[in-house]
Amino acid sequence: MSSEGSKYPGLRPLPPDFVRDFPPLALVVEDKCIACDRCPPLCFFDAIVMEARPRHKFKRTAIVIPDNCTGCGLCFEACPVDAFVWEPDKDIGKGPSKAAEKTERDLGV
Amino acid sequence: MSLKTSFLGLTLQSPVLIASGPASHDVNQVRVAEEQNAGAIVLKTACSDKFAHMRSWPRPRYKLLDWDKQIEGRSKMFSLYSYEQGYSGTLDDYWELISACKKHAALPVIGSIFADEAKDWIDMAKRVEQCGADAIELDISSPHRPGSLAFETTFVAAINGVVGAVRIPVLVKLGPGPEVLPQCLIAQENGASAVTLCNRLRGFDVDIESQRPILHGYFAGIGGPWAKYYTMRHVAEAANTITIPISATGGVLSGEDVIKYMLLGASTVQILSVIMVNGWESVKRINNEIEEYMQRKKINSLEEIRGKALSAMVSPDEIIRWSGESKRGSRNLWKEGTEN
Repeated sequence: MSSEGSKYPGLRPLPPDFVRDFPPLALVVEDKCIACDRCPPLCFFDAIVMEARPRHKFKRTAIVIPDNCTGCGLCFEACPVDAFVWEPDKDIGKGPSKAAEKTERDLGV
Repeated sequence: MSLKTSFLGLTLQSPVLIASGPASHDVNQVRVAEEQNAGAIVLKTACSDKFAHMRSWPRPRYKLLDWDKQIEGRSKMFSLYSYEQGYSGTLDDYWELISACKKHAALPVIGSIFADEAKDWIDMAKRVEQCGADAIELDISSPHRPGSLAFETTFVAAINGVVGAVRIPVLVKLGPGPEVLPQCLIAQENGASAVTLCNRLRGFDVDIESQRPILHGYFAGIGGPWAKYYTMRHVAEAANTITIPISATGGVLSGEDVIKYMLLGASTVQILSVIMVNGWESVKRINNEIEEYMQRKKINSLEEIRGKALSAMVSPDEIIRWSGESKRGSRNLWKEGTEN
């Protein structure tokens, strides 16, 4: 199955079996990232941050925080260079996090 | 001149509300919305325990269709296609969330719930009130809800029951069709304080390469900037008939869209997909655009323009009509056998 010319390039690296057997998690291919800053604000789960990479062509790269990523797929829409790919979420056994509790902790209260 | 809006007995800083969804499922987002001068926030919808499966979401579940990501979110036409059902935590988490929102932000918080039996609706609504929510929205029309999107008789009992059981204002979020006005009237008759028009449609899309439905393989909620045109019709129709306020939602990208909804009789406007594509700063931008308009038109309060366009709306009988086909221009000459 060719992945070229598809209308949904972001979904191409995700074969159907992947969804059934491994919950997907977003991952940034750092070499592809152009540090455009578009994906962090798009993520409603605070799962993407920019990190310094002195050796990177753009000195910075987006990275996904696996604990926060819910695999929603919105970041694939933000990336102008298709730097996102899916990887299996090894953490899924833990179940969904309690949003209120998490944010209380984040706020330091 | 002020954006201050009176809605459901609350004084809101702005008529722009954050709609229920992924931008309203944790406390930090409520604080961001407050910083951005949103008027209020409608929290992500919590489902009753009977629908606990709706708290787990498929992956991936969001797609922007017809979206050109090369132009940095400046696209004015796209569709948000998604299947993220209810709030992901338990009901206890949701009560904690509401309490935390009230503790850490001054922004008015509107709880949102979904259930089927009247008893569940009422129990949940009471908890939402106890936790300090300023109002409650009954999400009877989510495109993600199980079964058809028909207006069910149980909803009448739910609206009626909730209105009788809580003191906070009750909004009812209605689906986009086919006829919205009768649903508005039912909501009003049963004591709803306001209606939210309209939820997204239920849609479907297929990838022709894999020859499979996209994402999770089932129908999804679909909305986008194009949705404002049918919602405007429903808002106008409702505003002409019902007396309770209307919170309009659907396809708002700019202050211009908000003003249009106001001119058609909406009191507040809820936004969400614009935050997805243009970020949280959109709230401030939209507020600024409304203020610019108010300055230009010398308006002190949005109340002055609310429903103003409705008075210029005509009935089909009153439409001024002119003949077209009976004109005797050159394109009709053949009829008279005068070719060549």
